[in-house]
Amino acid sequence: MSAASALATLPAGLVWHGRQLAGQGGPILPTGHAALDAQLPGGGWPGAAITELLVDQPGVGELSLLLPLLRRAEAGRWQVWIGPPQHPYAPALQAAGVDLESLLLINPPTPDEALWATRQALGSATCSMVLAWLPHVDVAGLRRLQLAAESGATPLFLFRPCASARQPSPAPLRLALSPQHGALRIDLLKRRGPLAHAPVLLSLHDDSL
Amino acid sequence: MGSLSCTAPLRKTIYIRPHVIAVAPAAAARGIQAGQSVTSALAMVPELNLVPRTPDKEAALLQDVAAWAGAFSARVCLDPPDGIVLEVASCLRLFGGLDALRHALLEGLQRQGLTPAIADAPTPLAARWFAREAGRNPAAACTKPPAAWQQRLDALPLSALADRGNIGQTQLDLLSGLGLRTLGEVRALPAAGLARRQATAVIDALARAYGEEHDLREAYLPPPSYSSHISLALATTSTEPLLFAARRLFAGLASWLAARHAGIDHCQLLLLHERRPASTLDILTGTPSRDEARFNLLARERLAALKLPAPVDGLELIANAPRALAARSDDLFGDAATARENALLLLERLRARLGDDGVRQIAPKPDWRPERAWHGSAPNTANKAARVSARARVDTQRPLWLLDAPQRIDDPRQIKLLRGPERIEQGWWDGHDVRRDYYLARHANGALWWVYRKLDSPRDWYLQGYFG
Repeated sequence: MSAASALATLPAGLVWHGRQLAGQGGPILPTGHAALDAQLPGGGWPGAAITELLVDQPGVGELSLLLPLLRRAEAGRWQVWIGPPQHPYAPALQAAGVDLESLLLINPPTPDEALWATRQALGSATCSMVLAWLPHVDVAGLRRLQLAAESGATPLFLFRPCASARQPSPAPLRLALSPQHGALRIDLLKRRGPLAHAPVLLSLHDDSL
Repeated sequence: MGSLSCTAPLRKTIYIRPHVIAVAPAAAARGIQAGQSVTSALAMVPELNLVPRTPDKEAALLQDVAAWAGAFSARVCLDPPDGIVLEVASCLRLFGGLDALRHALLEGLQRQGLTPAIADAPTPLAARWFAREAGRNPAAACTKPPAAWQQRLDALPLSALADRGNIGQTQLDLLSGLGLRTLGEVRALPAAGLARRQATAVIDALARAYGEEHDLREAYLPPPSYSSHISLALATTSTEPLLFAARRLFAGLASWLAARHAGIDHCQLLLLHERRPASTLDILTGTPSRDEARFNLLARERLAALKLPAPVDGLELIANAPRALAARSDDLFGDAATARENALLLLERLRARLGDDGVRQIAPKPDWRPERAWHGSAPNTANKAARVSARARVDTQRPLWLLDAPQRIDDPRQIKLLRGPERIEQGWWDGHDVRRDYYLARHANGALWWVYRKLDSPRDWYLQGYFG
């Protein structure tokens, strides 16, 4: 029996082929962007893990990328934003269909408090998602966040500067966001699956721009 | 009427001159007995640790126990000096029978550091006597075969009568002089003869104990506001011992609330210092609650955020304004109410640690001036319906990020205007006049900006938001 056919007899999920994307390891939340879904393991954001979004400047479409998910959020569960660098603009969010009643804005005074608040929000299992801006979190902190996200089955979208791409991270998904010709360029730095060769380009704002 | 009587003797050796009232186990092992005179006790054990009796503290303790017992029965009576009586016939089903109730009472009292003796009988006085008897001789109480309660009452020794103050020693001497040893023998005597010998109090007590006469008692009413105090043996600044002590206060508060079928949405924990005004922790729960664990959790967060100016040597918990709160039973599959409560709990934790300014919610406001078209507020959990949700009136695009204050763009050549202008000319009436032309622009670095140009000179360019 050849090695390949021997592998084929094993139960599904035990063997992972290098060319495939990893299967579903927990809940998956579709991103709402078909081109991106195709490149993500399971076809969406991991529902109980950290997704790191590395972005250096505001205004590249980093929030628009999450808008489909923000729009779908369950009523009665919080959407927690921890330490955003600017004010989220209520009229724009409402016009985009985000439920402002369930949106909680946390302004922690120190990075430690920000980390604490993020862990509380994740661990409480009462949030449909957590968005956190933690520029200075270390690896140990990231690991605790990952555990909290798993135990609370809550997705965490962690915004960090691009320079932290060099830092190791337990997050199963790391994306670098940058603008390119009026579209959002997404480099998949890390995913459970083969290395991504080409970036994903998403045109998030309407065509007239 | 079924009654349970618990007597809770204090654990330490207590005396009123000249005799010992209660004995700690270690002292009992050395041969000290209750009722012994202090001098003889000291002669037997010279290093005996004598604690003077403090009747007012005992009375306060009894009140606390009664308030706590209100969680088990709707009718609680004080039975001074050392007992409380609960009417339980009406609530046995709720607690799953007499044994389960007795177990719950025993466990709860032991957790408060008391060693209770619990007995049940159809009349309060009989219950009290059984409890005294069980307290004196716990082994016998357990092994005794169940008999009709009147027969058990008949078998009680004469000394049981001495328990209540209105039967004097002379009357007891008279009875024992007649050669009587048990209550049954006393009852067998002709009542008229006893009455002639000044023993009416005995007849009266027996009639009440056997249920031949009504035994009316005044129900204990828990105080309208809760206040409880604990002094710490050792002044401390560390969180853990303080939280441990606070847990006892919160347990008392929770049962006081349960007795009133009420909840509170705020209470105050005072940390008492020796030579300073007390530090105050305000504990806000957001919604009315009587959940002990929730109070503990919030106290932990508040305490962690607090800098203590001096060691704490006492704690005081004050709660007033209880609000009616119906009990909620747990659902097998975790109902929506539980989820909602957990969501509020997260909010409370965050607010307890970060303060009201640390946790905000945002809503649009009907105003054309971009910086005034939204407002942030502390989350309002009480009254959602009251919040006016202003519909967004703009049909043009607005940025998802807004800067705290507009930033002047030093080099307007860096930006390329994509759409605009949208003129906003507003606010001449309230002194915050705005005259601007807004554009959607792309900066050289690729980001989408929301910029404006002032209509008044100098016609500078400003950045106000990002299309995130």
